[in-house]
Amino acid sequence: MRSLWQLIFRYHVFLLFLALQGVAITLLVRSNSFHHHTWLSSSNRVTGALYARRAVVSEYLRLQSVNEELARENALLKSERPAAFLKLSDNMYLHNDTVHLRRYEYTTGKVINNSINRPKNYLTIDRGSRNGIDVGMGVVNNGAVVGIVKDVSEHFAVVMPLINTGFRLSVKLKRTNAFGSLEWDGGDPTLIRMNDVPRYANPLKGDTVVTTGYSAYYPEGMLVGTVDSYRIPEGENFYEIDIRLATEYYRLSYVDVIRNLLAEEQIELENAVANDDD
Amino acid sequence: MIEGLRHIGRIVFFVTVQGLILNRMDLWQGYILPALYIYGILMLPITTPRVVLLLAGFGTGMLMDMFTNTGGLHTSACLLLAFFQPLVLRVLSPREGYESGQRQTVMDLGWGWFFAYAGSLTFVHHFWLFFMEQLRFTPFFSTVGKVLLSALTTVVLMIISQYLGYSGKDRRNS
Repeated sequence: MRSLWQLIFRYHVFLLFLALQGVAITLLVRSNSFHHHTWLSSSNRVTGALYARRAVVSEYLRLQSVNEELARENALLKSERPAAFLKLSDNMYLHNDTVHLRRYEYTTGKVINNSINRPKNYLTIDRGSRNGIDVGMGVVNNGAVVGIVKDVSEHFAVVMPLINTGFRLSVKLKRTNAFGSLEWDGGDPTLIRMNDVPRYANPLKGDTVVTTGYSAYYPEGMLVGTVDSYRIPEGENFYEIDIRLATEYYRLSYVDVIRNLLAEEQIELENAVANDDD
Repeated sequence: MIEGLRHIGRIVFFVTVQGLILNRMDLWQGYILPALYIYGILMLPITTPRVVLLLAGFGTGMLMDMFTNTGGLHTSACLLLAFFQPLVLRVLSPREGYESGQRQTVMDLGWGWFFAYAGSLTFVHHFWLFFMEQLRFTPFFSTVGKVLLSALTTVVLMIISQYLGYSGKDRRNS
């Protein structure tokens, strides 16, 4: 026993190093899992508040492009108003509201922190649980997919963008309806790889890639990007497609968070079936 | 006591600078990622006990991880740095040992010494950081290049901040 104490005393620095390193690596591994709640994150009070301060300054520098973006969106919305349509027929029709059930709700948030040059990028927005944001909600910008909410605090939320090597999303080519899964390789923040696309998919450069709507995070048909290049690797049966992302992460300033009002129902039902099979 | 607070203050200051300014800079399309925040650890007194040094490294890394949502990535790299720091100091020690009150600066110990000291430790830190971040060795040479260039940038930034914070022998807080 005595010699054990001596041993511990002699190597106490190295043992302390190993113990702390163990804590650090456990935290690292746990933060890499897709849905894990990270307690060391910028959605916490102190760093979140600091980022919000800085965003006030850097926002001014981006006002022009934000304005352009908003003007474009305004134009789009105006063109969809009833007043923008000319009535071609005198036949009246009833638009019965009880036929439609609201499925998605949008909340706007400002991006206050954003990284693009890491393999695991995250962005922080200034909306949190108080604004109804919850883990797992989809985030979009001008109708293009940005990412999903990974963590929320009272006033802030951390979003995992498409350009995070831990992100997975099933998408399809709009023209041929062929499915594939997205995975980012940690390099260029403007490109993403679409894997497992079957041979008959017949992709073309410039094809639009949209979400499938299979997952509860996003409505179907949200824009992801356009096909940049494609190939079938030697000896394989599936296409590898490089997609140019529609979201320009380096100039992101406002995003919309999507709340799927029917998500719980869908997930519950799917889980019930999955449990029956076990 | 005051001295200790000063060192903690420096660590917090450099972590904040890193989180709010340096991480936003897109040097060479994000290929170069300097990590100036470790300067606070490198400047802890030469006589700091190793246990204290490890705890300081752990704390610094935790602070940085809070900023960047990286779990324990920076914590792990800082611990490695704090573990090697006394060993590097011993290897680089002048023949007569360090004089009391001597600090790890260009002014006190010279250019060559500081390059060897900051360069080797920064390299260890960056190497661990970038490879733990990738968690795979496939693009090996690209990552090594990234490590080398980022480490060099970090050391240059350290020297600049050393000169910015230095005004005469009596001032000790930079």
